Amino acid sequence: MHEKFSIYSINWLHFTLIVLFRTSREWHKQIILCELTKDVETFSNLTCNLSNNTMQFTNVTCPHCGLLCDDLSVQVDDGQVDLSSPLNDHCSSAFQDACLTNKHPSPTISGKTATLEQAISKAAEILTQASLPIVNGLIADVQACRAAVALTEKVSGVIDHANGKNIRPNVAVMQRMGKVKTTLAEARNRADNIIIFGSAVLDRFPRLVDRILQPEQSLGSDQTLHKTITILDVKGTQPSAQINKHSSINHIQLQLDSLDSVIQSFQNIVQNSSVTNTDTSETDKVLIRLRDQIYEKNYSVIIWSTSLLAPDAAEHSIQSITHAIKNMMTEVRCVGMPLGGSKGEITASQVVTWQTGVPLPVAFMSGVPQHDPTLYDGAHMIAQQEVDAMLWLSTYRPTDTPPECSIPTVVIGHPNMQCEHADVFIPVGIPGIDTRGLACRTDSVATLPLLKIRDIALPHASDVIEKINQKITY
Amino acid sequence: MAIKLTGGQIYDPAHQVDGEIRDLYIVNDEVYAELPEHEKVTQTYDLSNCIVMAGAIDLHTHIGGGKVNIARTMMLEDQHEHPHVGNEICRTGCGHVVPSTFTTGYRYAEMGYTACFEPAVLPVNARQAHMEMADTPMVDKGGYVLLGNDDFLLNMIRQGAAQSTINDYVAWILHASQCIGIKVVNAGGIHAFKYNQRRLDVDEKSIAGITPRDVITKLSRAVHELDIPHPLHVHASNLGIPGNFKTTIATMAAAEGLPIHLTHIQFHSYGSEGDYNFSSAASEIAEAINSTPNVTADVGQVMFGQTITTSGDTMMQYFGHEHAHPKKWTVMDIECEAGCGVIPFQYRDKSFVNALQWAIGLEIFLQVDDPWRVFLTTDHPNGAPFTSYPHLIKLLMNRSFRNDAFRIIHHEAQKMSNLDSIQREYTLYEIAIMTRAAPAKILGLSDHGHLGPGAKANITVYTKQDDVERMFAKPALVFKNGTLVVKEGDVVETVLGVTHVVKPEFNEDIEKPLKEYFDAYQTISLPNFKISNDEMEECIGSKVRVHPCTRS
Repeated sequence: MHEKFSIYSINWLHFTLIVLFRTSREWHKQIILCELTKDVETFSNLTCNLSNNTMQFTNVTCPHCGLLCDDLSVQVDDGQVDLSSPLNDHCSSAFQDACLTNKHPSPTISGKTATLEQAISKAAEILTQASLPIVNGLIADVQACRAAVALTEKVSGVIDHANGKNIRPNVAVMQRMGKVKTTLAEARNRADNIIIFGSAVLDRFPRLVDRILQPEQSLGSDQTLHKTITILDVKGTQPSAQINKHSSINHIQLQLDSLDSVIQSFQNIVQNSSVTNTDTSETDKVLIRLRDQIYEKNYSVIIWSTSLLAPDAAEHSIQSITHAIKNMMTEVRCVGMPLGGSKGEITASQVVTWQTGVPLPVAFMSGVPQHDPTLYDGAHMIAQQEVDAMLWLSTYRPTDTPPECSIPTVVIGHPNMQCEHADVFIPVGIPGIDTRGLACRTDSVATLPLLKIRDIALPHASDVIEKINQKITY
Repeated sequence: MAIKLTGGQIYDPAHQVDGEIRDLYIVNDEVYAELPEHEKVTQTYDLSNCIVMAGAIDLHTHIGGGKVNIARTMMLEDQHEHPHVGNEICRTGCGHVVPSTFTTGYRYAEMGYTACFEPAVLPVNARQAHMEMADTPMVDKGGYVLLGNDDFLLNMIRQGAAQSTINDYVAWILHASQCIGIKVVNAGGIHAFKYNQRRLDVDEKSIAGITPRDVITKLSRAVHELDIPHPLHVHASNLGIPGNFKTTIATMAAAEGLPIHLTHIQFHSYGSEGDYNFSSAASEIAEAINSTPNVTADVGQVMFGQTITTSGDTMMQYFGHEHAHPKKWTVMDIECEAGCGVIPFQYRDKSFVNALQWAIGLEIFLQVDDPWRVFLTTDHPNGAPFTSYPHLIKLLMNRSFRNDAFRIIHHEAQKMSNLDSIQREYTLYEIAIMTRAAPAKILGLSDHGHLGPGAKANITVYTKQDDVERMFAKPALVFKNGTLVVKEGDVVETVLGVTHVVKPEFNEDIEKPLKEYFDAYQTISLPNFKISNDEMEECIGSKVRVHPCTRS
């Protein structure tokens, strides 16, 4: 029997269910299909190849980088998850990480196997006994972040994201001067000029060029289809391997000491419009050309990733880019497109901001939400032992483990996470693979659905956190 | 088990009840004039000396979506200055101008509101808007989805697509985004701004090759032909520009006699007379509304104080950014659909322009004859936070209070306004119309906004007071779907509310060109763009309530 069904209607689905009941060796397929029957509009995401008992899902969202590409085809077979397309090593590895190293991951208390109920009770006990607990990590979907905020509020603790240092500079600039930004589809269809600070951006967002910067089609003109793309690097740094794959990209290495210096020099050139090509350094000549190019083009997008900037200079650099953009915008359309969110930073930031009214990090010690990027820096508080218990939430990758610390730690994590030192470890489903959810994209505008495509009987992180919350009484 | 509300003075304009003393009964989530057979009264509230109205409905308030989070982030000082302590039933939060979601829900309920509608849901941002609204408890919610600057529609119109095809797209987007109405903001102007066009009048062709009038005409017809209850909700072109009242009147005409709702019309009622080249055109606008029965409007009243403006109208937000207070501003182009601009703003009574804006709003309220066609809004938070509604109601109901306030605004503004000569004082009946009966009617919510047969038990009880501002600020009782949720102005129980939507019928063939468009140009696939009922409930967190597409 070798049939391939695309399921588009309720009739087809029922038929497929019957066929699967009769032919499939794997119970989990029926469970997943039953799950999907609740949502008629997700039928088109699923194709079943009955010959080898694999399930092929299309339009799968990849939550492993901030772009949240949702055009993936993923194959699931006996719990094994493989990316069928696109053929991209970076993206593939994220799905391979989902294959269970232990067939039956179970909660542990001090490294010893425990029931879920026991682990939840112990987690609640740890958080109840703490005088100042922190909820950290937040590498999770919307529902888990919602539950994490409620729990932090309940325990009068502090909440921060694992990558808080990359969130804060952007928030600070937004608070001080606002921003001029664009989104992925605008960059794809409207932009005719792209400037990227740091070729490593291409490594961190592996499909940026193919999907956004050099698309097969564009709504605009020939100029938006064949964008002028300039990537600035610091001389002496290893450029991204992607540079060589795209010959049309202008890759320029500048004789400066850091990307932050490149950005600062760029802003100086933009702010000082009288600077011309004569009597300037080679670096300035490049930057003057780029500035003039922005004025010549119709829609320029400036791209950066905070994670590539020096932590102590990032805020100033982002402010410089914003100043430059706002300056040029008096005459021409020029916008910023910061890229980030590969560990759920955008999701966590959005949820925390709408639920508490202030951005990350947030403290609830006084009974109301208080934002202070210095006082409540999660990483710093843990390092300085200003907190006396931690709940670490990290669901996308096994490698995003909690920071080393000596305070009691509860980990709600990826099922393959190695957490022997955690006082409590509770494996949960991986969003977009084992549990259904929602995630916010790098541009803070699009929220993408994450599908359940495998059933390994692990709970959603939000359910676990809510149960811990219910157990806590004062 | 029935709850009896006895002795209250009832204002139910949907049934022409104007202050009569009657009893009401609540059984489960419905309201009854008589005790249903086999039901026993288990609790009685003596409402003598009380006023009873249906729960209030805000048909235009920015409470969800990415722009609100940008505003929250930019208004940190305001957030910290207005903390809201939680308790066993209420979550903590903060903010006065753009409160956190939980706080927003509590504040609305504490003022007797039971439903709120977010007027600018970008399709690509609809999930977030719905998530924020799902986390806004106590009130029902709904959204108007933004069209009219999206490349797909503009291309359709330019290419001369049949009206039926446009109708299919409009219906499809309502399904996909789980919304109850269609909104257009500066038709074509947000799109044109992406091409560096800085102004676009209603009969001016933009780079898209069509005019704002074309967009308004096509969309208002689509809404009408699909039998969508809520008329096309229009933020007209040239917001804030002196002399823009002509554009506003031309926009009304663009609907060609079909229903059209002009939103925050105060910002679109400006003349260009006088020493400051800025004057009130409230009389012209009110006259246009009075003489054009297909037109409704909400005012978008300005109140003095600090706020933040959030709008999809990037073109006009950028134009106004120099007036930002404090000096910061955000503008975003969004996903070939629309945009957003967020600018903090302080309205000052000693500023000529701000003072006249305040007067213009009140002039419109008081000169539009029919309270069924003018709605009480501040375009929260753009004109002022929604918590200023009780003060606004007092300004409308009390002429001497209004004139006292008028006498302290900028003197030149006083000279340019006829406000103090207007005798009219709104009655409680008229307030009940504009905050309950009329919004329910215009949104197609047959079981909201009234206290007659079939009504949900959304009921607000006020203790009579001479000071109506105090009265409307702190109801004695609020019932949401039969549950007592507020007592003496404090939340006593939390409920979630539902999301009101419409799902007009359409020809699914529209998905063929849409799929081609999404595959070729968009960064989200078509299946993932659409939000299902199931996703609304399981992931987003709000049940969907579908209303029929039939107009009364």
